[in-house]
Amino acid sequence: MTASATEVMEAPGPTLEAERWSPSAGGWTARLLVLAAIFGGVIWVTAIVPNYWADRISLAAIFAIIGLSLNIVLGYVGQVSLGHHGFVGIAAFVAAYYATEKAGCSLDACSFGTFMTATVVAALSGAVVAMLLGLIALRIKGLYLALITLAYGFVAERSIFEIPFLTRGGAGMPATRPDGWGTDREFAFLCFFFLAAVIFVDWRLLRSKVGRAILAIKHSESVASTYGVNVTSYKVLAFILSGIFAGIAGSLLAFRAETVVSNDFNFAIALLWVLMVVVGGLGNRVGVIIGSAFFALFPFLIVLIGPLDHFIRDTLGREPDYFTIVIGSALAILTIIQYPGGIGEQVSPITRWLGGKRFSLHAEGHGGHKPKEAKAAKPATGGLLAKVGLHNEDGTERSDEALAALGRAVERPASHDPGPPPDVWGALVGGKKKGDER
Amino acid sequence: MRTGIVIGATVALLALVLILGAGDDGGPNAYVVIGIATGAIYGLVALGLVLVYKGSRVFNFAQGEFGTVAAFTVFVLMEQVRSVDIPYWAALPAGLLVAVALGLAMERVVVRPLMNSPRITLLVATIAFALLTVGVEIVLFLPEAKVLEPLIAATDASGNPNGVEIFNYILEPQNIIIVGVLALLAVVLGYFFSKTDLGLAVLATSQDSFATRVVGIGVERTSRFIWGTAAFLGGLAGILYVPISGSLTPGAMTSGILIPAFTAAVLGGMTSLPGAFLGGIVIGCVQSLANWAGNTYTLTIDDVVKPLQSIIPGLPDVAIIIVLLLVLLIRPQGLLGSEA
Repeated sequence: MTASATEVMEAPGPTLEAERWSPSAGGWTARLLVLAAIFGGVIWVTAIVPNYWADRISLAAIFAIIGLSLNIVLGYVGQVSLGHHGFVGIAAFVAAYYATEKAGCSLDACSFGTFMTATVVAALSGAVVAMLLGLIALRIKGLYLALITLAYGFVAERSIFEIPFLTRGGAGMPATRPDGWGTDREFAFLCFFFLAAVIFVDWRLLRSKVGRAILAIKHSESVASTYGVNVTSYKVLAFILSGIFAGIAGSLLAFRAETVVSNDFNFAIALLWVLMVVVGGLGNRVGVIIGSAFFALFPFLIVLIGPLDHFIRDTLGREPDYFTIVIGSALAILTIIQYPGGIGEQVSPITRWLGGKRFSLHAEGHGGHKPKEAKAAKPATGGLLAKVGLHNEDGTERSDEALAALGRAVERPASHDPGPPPDVWGALVGGKKKGDER
Repeated sequence: MRTGIVIGATVALLALVLILGAGDDGGPNAYVVIGIATGAIYGLVALGLVLVYKGSRVFNFAQGEFGTVAAFTVFVLMEQVRSVDIPYWAALPAGLLVAVALGLAMERVVVRPLMNSPRITLLVATIAFALLTVGVEIVLFLPEAKVLEPLIAATDASGNPNGVEIFNYILEPQNIIIVGVLALLAVVLGYFFSKTDLGLAVLATSQDSFATRVVGIGVERTSRFIWGTAAFLGGLAGILYVPISGSLTPGAMTSGILIPAFTAAVLGGMTSLPGAFLGGIVIGCVQSLANWAGNTYTLTIDDVVKPLQSIIPGLPDVAIIIVLLLVLLIRPQGLLGSEA
């Protein structure tokens, strides 16, 4: 893709939005305040809750990283990975092995530098195993690739996680938390830091040439390659990136649990991870993070409702944890059949407003309870993603449709008629459903 | 023709192993027998997978759970209903009935709304349904192991084994029943799909559901039929296998059985019913022989003699996955697969 072509392709997106409507200084302030309130609220809650809760919140952050990792394969490349517990688990064992056996962390002291090195090593190991799977994915697609990833997770579970020197003969490999980050609360903040880093990389990458190429490949491999996109290397690159994120998550899981045992990484949890991404909304970063955190925090949400918790524990004699699978998978079925956009689509009015667009129902920003009224009126456009989609490298007829939609948007008088924006995202990516080669 | 050659070659290969290992104590013979017995279960689950794939072009991840649900139903009726003494012959059809009901419910709730979606979407939906079933099982029965009695007890009243002894390995009566049921089903279903109207309608639906509708075949009806039958097969597999596996836990038929069964179905060609049968037996034998090799052959590392199994943990499962990878990369159409 030449430089001039990039300019031409990029031109409509931001300028168009800028010409149509842009928030006033007050609007921007309100948006910044809401953003600050959201982030500040999360940090504040983590800072004041009991340690046991902070531990669970760190799990939510790790799940969000895993969700973003899966989202690359599932949402961007359009392939299913049912063996993510393999990526995450191998990285967890590698991180623990490095910290305890190689860097010599004892059971009560481990330097922060060692922790960082272990995480880097884990990320690299995740990248390597994901690359192998990516190479297979070049030849096998769709349902059969799903089967291969499943089989890969099966091998990891039955063979790799049983290697005696990794598991210390089944007892588990210890991974001491780094000095200064030892308490659950401190560790939760460490997880937030890594989550922020992963979100930043994911965000910037998707808006770069690489991200556009990957989305173009999902759309149509043959068209993308016709336009000079190197399908092979970008596809493998997407898997490698997914593996790096999974590796980071694995390392964090290892240090969170402080002992890595093979039972932590099983087939059921990998399937649950897939479902949490689906519930969050494929390809929708905000939705995936919310969905993942929801799945991780679900038992806690039950505990929050006192009478319900009492009913489940004392009357039924069941643990709230058991209901995660039931509610999670029921939500996933509902999402797939009824709301393919997932949580991400439900909250898209807020995310678009925060991104500097007009909020159709509530112009003045005070975050929180808006989506209930808003979701009925909002079409599934996804402003951020639509902009990303605009930068697609392929020039298919769908792109022409999208340009036509854009053209209509430009022709429309800018000031009044805040009605539904043109379905740019739909036109570009061809619907919200997951891609399939068949 | 090709079916005959492939089946003949497989049988000849197994016979060769048996002949070569004859009279060798600790040789592979007993392992081949074990392999055929476990392979029969893989084949039975694979039959259901192939059936669904023929009808809906999707891998059904809930296939194993039909079996677990059926087994739990039988367990509840036999062990937990105390007021009436329910015999096995009454509990078994009840278990199958519940499995079929689950299959029909799944067809209505999950499969039909997604009939025209991308197959990956439907795949994820079957995963969600399977997990939902496992979750409900956990809530109802807690994640604890339970015991389900076999159809014919493995030992008689005085403690002597009831089974047949082949090559120093005592085959439980339940194993023999499973192999028999599998062979019978493969023949019956093979006949059904090649000769009957409904069978041909199912095949037509899988190939072009719109054209099938145009010529006046009820697509919904065939879909219902497919999922009901698949659930029946899954239920049968669960009720027959759980007693010999030893423990009934939530997700029992998914965690250990589903992946070998998928491998068996892929090896058989994903669309071939005799292929699923054959694939199951072959995968069972591969797994069992890998187990034998892992126990028999040793490597010397640091002057310590170690069996292969301890150097490569889970060798039998690794062997299955190697077969799956090789089939998909080298011969994706499997042994007996064809586009029908």
